[in-house]
Amino acid sequence: MTKGLTRRGLLRTAGASLLGVGAASFPMPGLIRSARAADTVKLGCLFSSSGAMANVEGRLTSVVRMAAEELNAGGGVMGSMIEVVGTDPASDWPLYAQLGRQLIEQDQVAALFGCWTSVSRKSVLPVVEQSDALLYYPLHFEGEENSKNVVYLNSPPSSSVLPAVEYLMGPDGGEAKRFFMLGSDYVWPRTINQQLKGYWASKGIPETDWREEYVPVGHSNFQTLINQIREFADQPGGQPVVILTVVGNSIPDFFREFANQGISALDVPVLGLDALEADFEGLDTAALAGHLNCWAYLQSAAGPGNDKFKAAWAKHVADTGVPYRGDVAIDPMVSVYDGVHLWALAAEKAGSFAVPEVRAASPSVSFACPSGYEVSMMADSTYVKRGVFIGSLNETQGFDTLWQSEGTPDPVAFSPYMQG
Amino acid sequence: MLLIRLLTFLACLGASPAFAERAALSAALCAPSVAAKAEALRALAEAGALGGAAEAAWAQTLVVAVEARSFRCATGGAFIGEGDAALDAATLAPSPAPIDAAEMPINNRIRAAAASAAAALTLFTDVDPAARVEATTTLERRREALSLSILDAALAVETDASVLALLKPLRARMMLVDLAPENRIRAIEAIAADATLRNRTMISEALATEPDATVQAAGAAAMERIDRLIVIGKGLSTLYSGLSYASVLLLAALGLAIIFGLMGVINLAQGEFIMIGAYAAWFVQNAVRAVMPGLIDWYLIIALPMSFLAAALVGVVMEALVLRRLYDRPLMTLLATWAVSLLLINLVRVTIGTQNLEFHQPFYVVGGIHVVGDFIVTLNRLFAIAIAGLAFVGVVLVLRYTTFGLNMRAVAQNRAMAGAAGIDARRTDRMAIALGSGLAGLAGVALAPLYNVNPNMGTGFIVDSFMVVVLGGVGSLLGAVIASFGIGQINVIIEPLYGAVAAKVVVLLLVIAFIQRRPEGLFAPKGRR
Amino acid sequence: MGGGMLFRTIAISLAALTLALPILGGPLAGSGIGISPYLANIIGQIATFALLAIALDLIWGFAGVLSLGHGLFFAMGGYLIAMHMLKEGYVNAGVVPDLMTFMGWTELPGHWAFFESFPYTAALILILPGMLAFAYGWMSFRSRVSGVYFAIITQALTYVAMLLMFRNDTGFGGNNGMTGFVSLLGLQMGAPQTAVLLATASTGAALAAFLLCGQLVRSPFGRMLVAVRDDEARLRFLGYDTVWPKLAAWTLSGVIAAIAGALYVPQVGIINPRLLSPEVSIEIAVWVALGGRGTLSGAVIGAVVISALKFWLTGFAPDLWPFILSILVIVVVVGLPNGLSDLRLPGLRRMRDGR
Repeated sequence: MTKGLTRRGLLRTAGASLLGVGAASFPMPGLIRSARAADTVKLGCLFSSSGAMANVEGRLTSVVRMAAEELNAGGGVMGSMIEVVGTDPASDWPLYAQLGRQLIEQDQVAALFGCWTSVSRKSVLPVVEQSDALLYYPLHFEGEENSKNVVYLNSPPSSSVLPAVEYLMGPDGGEAKRFFMLGSDYVWPRTINQQLKGYWASKGIPETDWREEYVPVGHSNFQTLINQIREFADQPGGQPVVILTVVGNSIPDFFREFANQGISALDVPVLGLDALEADFEGLDTAALAGHLNCWAYLQSAAGPGNDKFKAAWAKHVADTGVPYRGDVAIDPMVSVYDGVHLWALAAEKAGSFAVPEVRAASPSVSFACPSGYEVSMMADSTYVKRGVFIGSLNETQGFDTLWQSEGTPDPVAFSPYMQG
Repeated sequence: MLLIRLLTFLACLGASPAFAERAALSAALCAPSVAAKAEALRALAEAGALGGAAEAAWAQTLVVAVEARSFRCATGGAFIGEGDAALDAATLAPSPAPIDAAEMPINNRIRAAAASAAAALTLFTDVDPAARVEATTTLERRREALSLSILDAALAVETDASVLALLKPLRARMMLVDLAPENRIRAIEAIAADATLRNRTMISEALATEPDATVQAAGAAAMERIDRLIVIGKGLSTLYSGLSYASVLLLAALGLAIIFGLMGVINLAQGEFIMIGAYAAWFVQNAVRAVMPGLIDWYLIIALPMSFLAAALVGVVMEALVLRRLYDRPLMTLLATWAVSLLLINLVRVTIGTQNLEFHQPFYVVGGIHVVGDFIVTLNRLFAIAIAGLAFVGVVLVLRYTTFGLNMRAVAQNRAMAGAAGIDARRTDRMAIALGSGLAGLAGVALAPLYNVNPNMGTGFIVDSFMVVVLGGVGSLLGAVIASFGIGQINVIIEPLYGAVAAKVVVLLLVIAFIQRRPEGLFAPKGRR
Repeated sequence: MGGGMLFRTIAISLAALTLALPILGGPLAGSGIGISPYLANIIGQIATFALLAIALDLIWGFAGVLSLGHGLFFAMGGYLIAMHMLKEGYVNAGVVPDLMTFMGWTELPGHWAFFESFPYTAALILILPGMLAFAYGWMSFRSRVSGVYFAIITQALTYVAMLLMFRNDTGFGGNNGMTGFVSLLGLQMGAPQTAVLLATASTGAALAAFLLCGQLVRSPFGRMLVAVRDDEARLRFLGYDTVWPKLAAWTLSGVIAAIAGALYVPQVGIINPRLLSPEVSIEIAVWVALGGRGTLSGAVIGAVVISALKFWLTGFAPDLWPFILSILVIVVVVGLPNGLSDLRLPGLRRMRDGR
């Protein structure tokens, strides 16, 4: 402290500083890695394999790898082999943006496949917009967004929530007249419920006929809430229905408590908008048969395309030993599978991997989705047209197809029912 | 002559009205609209009820086929089963189904009608009285295919007392729309006997179109009675929810309280010991299923000592490797135990996986008992309450009546003097950690039927357990009990009013404020540390 | 106090970095020794972590008060700057914040008023966390709540804040948090110069705090803090008021943490209640413990080493990171009472391990 600056001291500190800067350069082995080797093209994955979303999100990276292997077996895309770069954002929303930036700037990926929750997508959005990159987003979501840097592979509410609610309000679905909306507290449930309230207002359903409650993401104690649902259901006024927009681990917790309190789907059906076959893996669904969900794909979809996909997935799980069930196929898996193929087809059509060309070529290509529908991107937005399935939970933790759409309805990005 | 008579007889059989009816009834199930299908199921139930035993058996075969999704419709008729093994629905004779025979789609309306029809037909086909009792209970809720004529037919042939005891009130309740006012009043009384909101709604909806004044009065009085009981039910329900939340908190916090009371060590890995207990229960379940499948319903009981030992073992290992060197540095033990918790979570994650574990639900944790009003005692929470109670009693007994308990109390009150009196304080510490961890393992077993079991399940309990321990007072078991009950009850009272988050926030802030005023908690430790 | 050599090393490194960044990241950016905006961004984030670690070390290493809820102050600073950026974008550029859209609001709630003004926001960043720290510290220290109790309660406080902020109707973006920032003080978000400038500001702030706290702990006030840490009862017995030194250090610590948060959030482009989770706050304590509490250099080293390791590993071996972190913590906490500073070059004076 009192010695003052000596040459030795200066050298030491200079060395330490360089070490510091050098150490900080460790996060990027990419500086040494070349941008793209001659015959490979890279695709990046932003799916968490740890944290709250791990159980459902983790398997999506494996599906991307599976699709890449399929394409590579057929000679790759324009002669280039696909290399999949996987990351783990650990269900930590800022980390999605961080890793997205890394994949784009360091790994120079041609396209990103990622995100499940809308929060994670919104955190990656500025990153892809700033670099004019493409994010293929495989989950159904709340709409109200139309960025040219995101390919929305799955349905906005107009083609997911509304068909199911209309079914429930119709004669076949029980003529629902009263609605209890229960959701996790974040943008997707809040937006869905806003649109539903607007829809019901347009149909003349009074405000007294619906209730809206939110729980924190990851909430697990539904005892009091289900008591409230029972009370709401037993009041006069018509058939009650629960519109469930909780996500992740809250779904099995909710249904377990629902069954334990002895409520039957025949009395109070629950439309679990984010409920997947994977969510019921730990539950006995004999007491829960009859609850509904709505997706662009169900494992029970009929057709050779689906059989082929399910077989390929089972084989992939057996070959690679990833800790997921090879006999469970969920919508986001199929959506991201479609996404990889759509990207490959568009790149082939455009003759280039550059994002503007791929985006321009996308509306003119289509892909045979395992759900049995032919999917392709809209001409005037980056939404992909998908079929609609309404599923009914059966005794063996699967969803039977209750209803499916005639063709692929045009997705509506900005809902006319948004209030305010 | 005889031949002609025989042939005529056979021809008449084939063309008998009974057969033509059956064909019509089974064809009606193939109607295109859902409403028509539901109506067909109702007609089937009625035909079976009024047509005698053979007719009832035939009708039930069809309804069961609809529920089992083996009913097929084709242009040529209706079938049960597929391909060459199919049966003709009307005659139940083998008759290969054409290739275009479509599966009958089943949705909730059809499910409900089928369940109702099946229950109604059971009254006529099943010889076991218990099955008929269950069918009547089902008919209470599922009335889609029920009609007075069916009930009257059932009452005519029923001989068993237990079934009649349920059938008669059911019939009374069905009379809500009868022409005679006295019957309507009787129906209202019968409905009001079971005081639930659902029944109250039934009465109020009927009263909306009721012309007769006496019936209106009877209805209003009945609804008032129901309302009183519902309020009582609500109060009890809140109490029960609070008790169950409290028992969960107590199980999580009991072990923590012991360890903290004795050594001032805060174990941030306590939640993970709970997780280990739950995973141990899962292993026990798999073992029982493999070795003694007949005892599968009792795996939770068998798992209790196993989970205790498993968690205690991990606790002892943690103590030996980590805590032993940190006894005089309590703040560092916080960080060390946090690191242990991170390690445990990730070890489980990579070895077993992130998926929610599947637990078989034995009969004693499924469903609930309807007590009064709309208050249902759900059995899984009752199980947790029972385990919490047993754990608490067990700990009190250990502390009071065993040498080990005596040592623990002595060391907690005055470590130095206890050492001077010949008690090995370190050894007592180790045993206490084993006990504390083991209790967390028990919590894991109790929580397995309630919550999702995955590697992260323990992280939700940390802050709450701390609050219980800190509020209750260091080392005070009674304090822990009162604190968990207080926290649980306040939480449950606020939740329906302002939501789950507000409840948690208010409770935490109250506890923090309380600690500011009274830092030693509810029951201050006696003696010097 | 701390090894004089180490202290100077770190100070000079920080100074060098602060001076070099604008050059290496600006005119020299494309060259061989240049620093890409991505790297600058990482350096900037690590610098804010170092600042945060200094803040915690001030009250833990020197005053003996462990806080497991410092994320609260960090997040407060972050939220305040985020509100400024969103409001400014809304008022000046017409960019409607997401939280208004999905909540269906036509205007921002009352507490958002004046946030388009940077001076107002900056003042709040200094005042609000300070007030909260002061209020809570005053209540606790006066009631002699300390040690483990205090630590647990800070955990609970940040947990409560997290629960509140997760609610969407409190008007802070809820679970989504806030993102979609347009600009800060004229710097466009996403522009390369912005990343470099923010990183420079962060390293500069870290340097300033390092030097300031270094002076502070060498002063009589600092010696008082150490005395409080070592034996508060004795100090009280000798007639000193121990509440005010602790309170002053605690408040200063909260404000520094808030400044760190305000520098962090523009660099990651999003703030979310996850920052308030108990785990994040514990990680801050881990940095300080690993680096060596009781020496400011230790805090900085701990923060830099662990965050750099984390960034590096989560990029390509994400599964490994939790194991490495937990084993590292256990080994260091059990084996090295003063953290990594126990491994430092011999001949440096070490602080006696008080607790």
